[in-house]
Amino acid sequence: MTGQGIGASVPRKEDDRYMRGRGQYVGDIRRPGMLEVAFVRSPLAHARLRAIHVPEALTGRVYTMDDLDGVNAIRATSTLPGYKPTDQWPLARGKVRQVGELVAMCVAPTRAEAEDVAAQIELDLEELPAVVDMLAARRSGAPLVHEAFGDNIYLVSSFDGDIESAAARADVKVTREIRTARQCMLPIEGRGVVAEWNARLDQLTVWSSAQMPHIVRTGLSEVLNLRQAQVRVIPPDVGGGFGYKGILLPEEVCLSWLAMRLGRPVRWLEDRREHLTANANCREHHYKITGYATRDGRLLAVEAEAHVDSGAYSSYPFSACLEAGQVTSILPGVYDFEAYRARAYAVATNKPPILPYRGVGRTGVCFAMELLIDALAREIGMEPHEFRRRNLVRPDQMPFENITKKYFDSGDYPEALRRAVEALDVDAWRRRQAQGESDGRRIGVGISMYCEQAAHGTSVYAAWGVPMIPGFEQAALRITPDGGLEIRVGTHSHGQSHETTFAQVAHEVLGIALEKIHLVHGDTALTPYSTGTWGSRAMVMAGGAIAAACTELVPRLLGIGAHLLQQSASAVRLDGDRVVGPEGSVSIADIARVWYLAPQDLPLDADAHGLEVTAGYKLERDTGTFSYAAHAVALAVDTDTGLVEILDYVIVEDGGTLVNPMVVDGQIYGGVAQGVGTALYEEMPFDSHGQPLASTLSDYMIPGPTEVPAVRILHMETPSPLSAFGIKGIGEGGAIAPPAAIANAINDALAPLGVEMTESPVSPHRIFNAIRAARDETAA
Amino acid sequence: MKPSSFDYAVPRTLDEAVALLNGDPAAKLIAGGQTLGPMLNLRLVQPTLLIDITRIPELTRIEETGDGIVFGACVTHAAFEDGRVPDPAGGALRRVARGIAYRAVRTRGTIGGSLAHADPAADWLSCLAALGAEVIAYDGHGRRTMPVATLMTGVFETAIREGEILEGVRVPRPSKQARFGYYKICRKTGEFAEAIGAVLFDPERGVHRAVAGATEAPPIVIEDAAAFLQEDGDLDAVKARLGEHGLTDPYSLQLHAVALQRAAMEAWL
Amino acid sequence: MRNITLTVNGQSVTAQVEPRTHLADFLREHLALTGTHLGCEHGVCGACTVAVNGEIARSCITYAVQCDGAEVTTIEGFDDDALMARLREAFTTKHGLQCGYCTPGMLIAARDLVRRFEQADARLIREEMSGNLCRCTGYMGIVAAVEQVMAERAELAALPPSQATLGPAPGPAAQISGQDRQPSAPARAAEAESRRAVPTADLEEISEEGLITLEQSFVVDHPPAEVWEFFGNLPQVARCMPGAAITKVSGDRLEGEIRVKLGPITAAFAGQGRITRDAAARRATIVGQGRDTRSGSRARGRIVYVVNDDAHGGTRVEVEIGYALAGTLAHFGRGGIVIDLANRLTQAFAENLKTRLAGGDTQTADGSAPAALDAGGLVWSVLWERLKAALRRLVGGR
Repeated sequence: MTGQGIGASVPRKEDDRYMRGRGQYVGDIRRPGMLEVAFVRSPLAHARLRAIHVPEALTGRVYTMDDLDGVNAIRATSTLPGYKPTDQWPLARGKVRQVGELVAMCVAPTRAEAEDVAAQIELDLEELPAVVDMLAARRSGAPLVHEAFGDNIYLVSSFDGDIESAAARADVKVTREIRTARQCMLPIEGRGVVAEWNARLDQLTVWSSAQMPHIVRTGLSEVLNLRQAQVRVIPPDVGGGFGYKGILLPEEVCLSWLAMRLGRPVRWLEDRREHLTANANCREHHYKITGYATRDGRLLAVEAEAHVDSGAYSSYPFSACLEAGQVTSILPGVYDFEAYRARAYAVATNKPPILPYRGVGRTGVCFAMELLIDALAREIGMEPHEFRRRNLVRPDQMPFENITKKYFDSGDYPEALRRAVEALDVDAWRRRQAQGESDGRRIGVGISMYCEQAAHGTSVYAAWGVPMIPGFEQAALRITPDGGLEIRVGTHSHGQSHETTFAQVAHEVLGIALEKIHLVHGDTALTPYSTGTWGSRAMVMAGGAIAAACTELVPRLLGIGAHLLQQSASAVRLDGDRVVGPEGSVSIADIARVWYLAPQDLPLDADAHGLEVTAGYKLERDTGTFSYAAHAVALAVDTDTGLVEILDYVIVEDGGTLVNPMVVDGQIYGGVAQGVGTALYEEMPFDSHGQPLASTLSDYMIPGPTEVPAVRILHMETPSPLSAFGIKGIGEGGAIAPPAAIANAINDALAPLGVEMTESPVSPHRIFNAIRAARDETAA
Repeated sequence: MKPSSFDYAVPRTLDEAVALLNGDPAAKLIAGGQTLGPMLNLRLVQPTLLIDITRIPELTRIEETGDGIVFGACVTHAAFEDGRVPDPAGGALRRVARGIAYRAVRTRGTIGGSLAHADPAADWLSCLAALGAEVIAYDGHGRRTMPVATLMTGVFETAIREGEILEGVRVPRPSKQARFGYYKICRKTGEFAEAIGAVLFDPERGVHRAVAGATEAPPIVIEDAAAFLQEDGDLDAVKARLGEHGLTDPYSLQLHAVALQRAAMEAWL
Repeated sequence: MRNITLTVNGQSVTAQVEPRTHLADFLREHLALTGTHLGCEHGVCGACTVAVNGEIARSCITYAVQCDGAEVTTIEGFDDDALMARLREAFTTKHGLQCGYCTPGMLIAARDLVRRFEQADARLIREEMSGNLCRCTGYMGIVAAVEQVMAERAELAALPPSQATLGPAPGPAAQISGQDRQPSAPARAAEAESRRAVPTADLEEISEEGLITLEQSFVVDHPPAEVWEFFGNLPQVARCMPGAAITKVSGDRLEGEIRVKLGPITAAFAGQGRITRDAAARRATIVGQGRDTRSGSRARGRIVYVVNDDAHGGTRVEVEIGYALAGTLAHFGRGGIVIDLANRLTQAFAENLKTRLAGGDTQTADGSAPAALDAGGLVWSVLWERLKAALRRLVGGR
C-alpha cells in the first residue's frame, strides 16, 4: 500500500496554489482590450416595460433586448405532464417579473464607469401588482406572473395513495403547517463571465464560474444560434457553487453576444448586491402535513400538501419543476410505512427563480417530515429516537424499494440512529435537562435522519424530461511519455477536491503516484461531455469512469510490459506502477517511453489503442446510491433573548466506501455549516411588492466560526452494491439534516412552555414571539 | 458595486480640513472609512470630495489630566483593544473596543469616526455615554464640548454642526470603587448589536447611570439607574422604565431590558 | 486621478489612481495581484483581507489613495514568511480550505491572530476569525489548523508587535507622494446635477395598489368650507410636507421634488403628481411618483384627505397617506416599517396642515421650500426606516 489510493486521507493537490494566492478565478482573468459590463436591472418586481431611455451621449455603450437580434429566449423544457415552461429573455422584453431582472447592458473600460453609465439609464415602467407569496399566488384573482399560464403554477406533482384504511387504524393524528425560508446560496465567489470572440477559430470562448460547463455550452449555442463547436466554455477555479452555479445565466448569453458584437473581450462579475437582490434563490417550501400513528409508536400513514415558491422563471437546465417535483417522491425519507398521499405545487411568483441548492428538495422535506415525527412522538409521549427506531427501514430489508419506489441500495439506518443517540449521550442530556441550568437557559435534544439519493442516472432524469439527462459519464486518460497520467473529465470542481480524489481513484488502479497525475476538467474543448458537478454525482460518476478507463489501460500496459520483460502477458501483473514478471519488472514510465519515443521496441501485435483511452461508466442500476445519516444535537435556548447555542453536534454518516475520509469530513462539516444557516440565520425577505429586503451580508447573515459548532462525525461504511468500489455520493448530505435536528432540539427545549417552532430559520425573534403567544394563550 | 466618482484631499492640519469642509457642501470627512466605505461602495453616499483627516497629527493625540483623558478622534479601536492607549475606566474601553466588529475593521475604524457617524448600534456611543464622556468639536475658530449622551440627535445625525470637526473625546476617570457593566446582544459575533446595555455605578461620585443603546434612535440615558436596576431585579421593572422612554415593540423592549439587566448584574458582581 | 506611492510586498509602486478605486481593485486590476479576493465589497466577508503597515485591513473599504505612503502586504507577499509557511502546512493537513476563495484572507487573518495572541483556545480562535467567512469548510479545518500553529508558537521567532501609530495607517508621519493635498476643480457636482432629468410618467397609471397606508385625523377650528378652500391651493398644501418643493403646477398636475437626508445619505425624489378634487364630498386625492436618479430608487404614494363637519362647529380632516419604495434604497432592513415612526409620517403632515390652517407658516423665513429632512424626527424618515436598519447592520457598531 502506498497510502495514496482509495481510503487514504491524503492532503490535497490543489491547496498550494490557493494558499499562495495563485488560484485563478474568473475575476482574475484579464484579456487584452477587455471591457467591463454593468447591468441595469429592474427596480420593480412586476411591471410592463414601456421604454428604456438611453441618453444620446451613451449610444454604443448600452444594449437592450432590441439590440440582441436573433438571440433566443432561454427555455427550460420538461416532458412532465402539465408543466409550463417560460421564455426567459436574456434582457427583459415586454415585462419584468422580478426585481433585479436584467433590462440593459452597459459597457465601459472599468466596472465603475459601466456603473456610471447604468445610473444614467431611465426605465419607463408601468408597475403591475406583484405576487409575492406562494400561497396567495394560488388564489383565484391573483396577479399572473405569466399571463399565458392562466394561473401561477408551473407544475403539480402528486403521489396518489389510499391512506383512509391506515388512517382509520391510527390512535393519533397530528397535523402541522411547516415553512422554510427563501435563501441565497452564497458562495463567497459570486458568478462571473468573461467572453471573447476568436475570429481565427470562429469560436466564442466563455470563461464562467460554472458547475456544468458542457451544459452551459449546449444552452449557449441553442440560444445564440451557434454550432456547438463554435462555443468553448472554460470554468477556471470556482469559488464555491452549492448549486448556484448550475444554471445557464442570462448574463452568460448577454456577455457572449456582446463579445461577438464588439469583437472585444468583455467581463461581468456578479457583486454581492446582485447576488442577494437579483439572482437565483433557493429552498422556500411550505407544507401542510399530517401523520397517523398508533400509541405504541408505529407510523401508519402520511399525507401532505406542499408548495415550493419557484420564482419568476424556469431556469435552464433544471427547470422550475425539479424541486417541487422531487418533494412528493422523497418525503417518506428513511421510514417504512404503509400509506402515503402527497401533492406538490411549483408556484410562480415575482421573485428570483429558484435553483437546486445543496440537498435540493431534501432539506425542506427532511424539515417537514422530521418535525412531524417529533410532533407524533410528543403526542404519544415517546422519546423521539425510540419512535424513529420503530419505523426506520431495517437492514434486513435492504435493498429496499420504498413506498414511492425509491431503491435504497444498502445501509443500516437503525444502527446509525443507535450510534448517534449513544455518541451524543442523549440520556446524559436528559438528566441535565431535568436538573435545569444555573443560567436559566433550557436544554433541548434533537435528532433528524435522511437518506440522500446521489448520482441520479438516466432513468430518473428521463422521467423529468428536462434539457439535461445524464447518461454514461466519460473519462479520457492519457499516460504521458514520462509515465505520468492525464485525466480529462467534464465534471468540474467548485471546491470538492477532484484534483486529489480523482487521482486517488486512478492511483488505486494504476499505482501511479499522485504527484504524477494531472486532472484536466471542465474545459469543453479538452474534456468529454458531461452534465457536470451536481447531485453528489462527481465522485461516483466521474470516479467510476476514471476507474473504468484505468482498467482498460491495464492489459495494454501488461502487453507492452511483458514484451519488454520477454515474458508472456499472462506471466506478468501490475504491482504499484510497475509491470512485474517472474524475473524483473518495468515501470509504467518505461512502458510509456517505449510507446511514445521508442515505438520500434514495441511488440508487433501491440494494441493500437496505445496508452490513451476514453471509457464510459454508469451505475449497474441508474437509480442512484443512497447515503444516509443521523444527526443529533444538544443545545441551549435563552428564553429571555431567543438566542440558541449549540452545545454538541454528532453525525453518524454512511457514505459507502470513502475515497478520502478527510475530504468527506470536510464536505460534511461544510454542509452542516450551511444547514446551521438554514436552521437559525438565513432568510431572504421580501416586502409585499416583491422588493428584496437584504442587500448586504449584514442583512443576510451566514454563520461565521462562532455560529457553527465543532461537529463530531462517526462513519459507517456500507459499500454501495451498485457503484465502483462501493462509493456513494455524499456532497450534499451535511446540509440536509441540521435544520430539522436543530428545530427538533429547540422544540424539545421549549415543549414545557407549550411552544413548537415550525418555521425556519428559527430566529430569536420567532422564538420570542412563540413564547409570548404561548404565554398569552395560557393566560387567556 | 463601485463608488461614484469623488475627489480626494488630505489636509495636514485641522484648519486646512475645516477650510476644505467649508469649501464644498457635498464633501465628506473620512477617517478609517469603515462605516463610510460600504456606503460609498453601494453608492448610497455620493460625495464630491473626501477629506482624509488621518494625516492630521492632533487627531491621534492622547492627553491625560487628573480627572480624565482626551483621545484624538482618529485613535483606532485597535489601539484601545491592544492597550496602546491609557484606559481611564479600568479596562472598560479596552474590553468594549475588542467587541467592535472584527479585527480588520478595528485596525482602521476610529473612535471619532464612530461617534460622528452616530449609528445607534455603535458600541462607543453607548459605552461613552454611560461613562459620561464629552466630545470636542472644532470649527476653525474655537472649540466646544458636548456630552456624548446628547451627541446623537437621530439616526446618523449628531449635534456636530456643518463646518465643525469632531476633534476628540474626553473620558472622565471614574472613582476607584466604580463598577462598569456592558452587555451586548448580537445574533452573530461582530455583527451589529440588537441591544446594548451599559451601566456605570460610581457611588462615590453619585453616578448610577444606565444606557440602553442600539434602539434605532439615540441611546436612552437614565441617571437614576439604582432605582430600577436591582440585583434581584425583575425584568418588568426595567421594561416599564424603558417603555417610558418610548420603546414599545415588545421584542425590542425585551432585548433592551435583558441587556440592561445583564449589564447591571455584571456591574454588581 | 491622483498619484500615489506605496510599498506593495516590499516593492515600491507609484501609480495614478482614481480616488474611488479601492485598494483591492488597485491590487487586482493595476498590479495583477489577484490573490486578494472580493467577496462582498461591504467590509463583511473578509476575503479581501490584506496587511497595511503590518495590521490586517479590509482592502475593499480602504481606498488606494488612503494608502499613499503605506506598506501593503498581500497573500503573494507572504511566500517566504516562516509563520505563513507553518499556517499553510497546517491548513493543508487539517483541510482548512476547499474552494480556496476565502483562503488568502483567512490565512492573513490567522497569521495576525497568531502574531497577537500568546495563547488562544478554540473559542478565542473562532471569535478572532469571525471576520472571515467561509462557505465550504464549516470552519472545522481552519480552527484546527490555527490551534495547531498556536501550539507551535513558542518555536517561532519573535513576532512584531502592533503598529506604533494610534490612527489608521499610514498616519501623519507618512510621506504624501502627490503635491495635490487639495482637491481638483469641483467638476463633479455639475456632472451629477446634469443627470437629474425629471422622468415623465403617465399619471393615469400610477398604481395605488399595495401601498403601506397610515391614517390620521385632526380637528381645526375653521369651518369646512374655508378648509376645503385652503386645500385648493396646491403649493400651500405641499408646504405641509417637509422637504417637498413644487416646481410647477398646471391644472391638476404638479411637478416637484422631495428631498430627504439621512446623515451622509441624501436623495431627491423628483416626479409628478396629480390631484383629484371631489368638491361635493370634499375629498381630494393626490397621487404621485418620483425617482431618485442617484440611487435609481423609486417612490410612489398617495395622499387622500376628506374634510368633514366636526360636531363642535369646526372641521375634522381625515388624512390617509400611502407609499411604496422600490429600488436600491428599498433593499435593506428586515422588519418592514416600525410602527411609531410610520405614524409620525402622517402625524407630521397632519400637524403641518393644522398649523397652516390656523394661519401659521411651515415655510422657511426666505420663502423657499422647507429644508430637506433630517432623520431626527420628521415625516419622511419613515421611508428610510429600512435603510437605517440595513446600514445599522452593515456598519453596525464600528
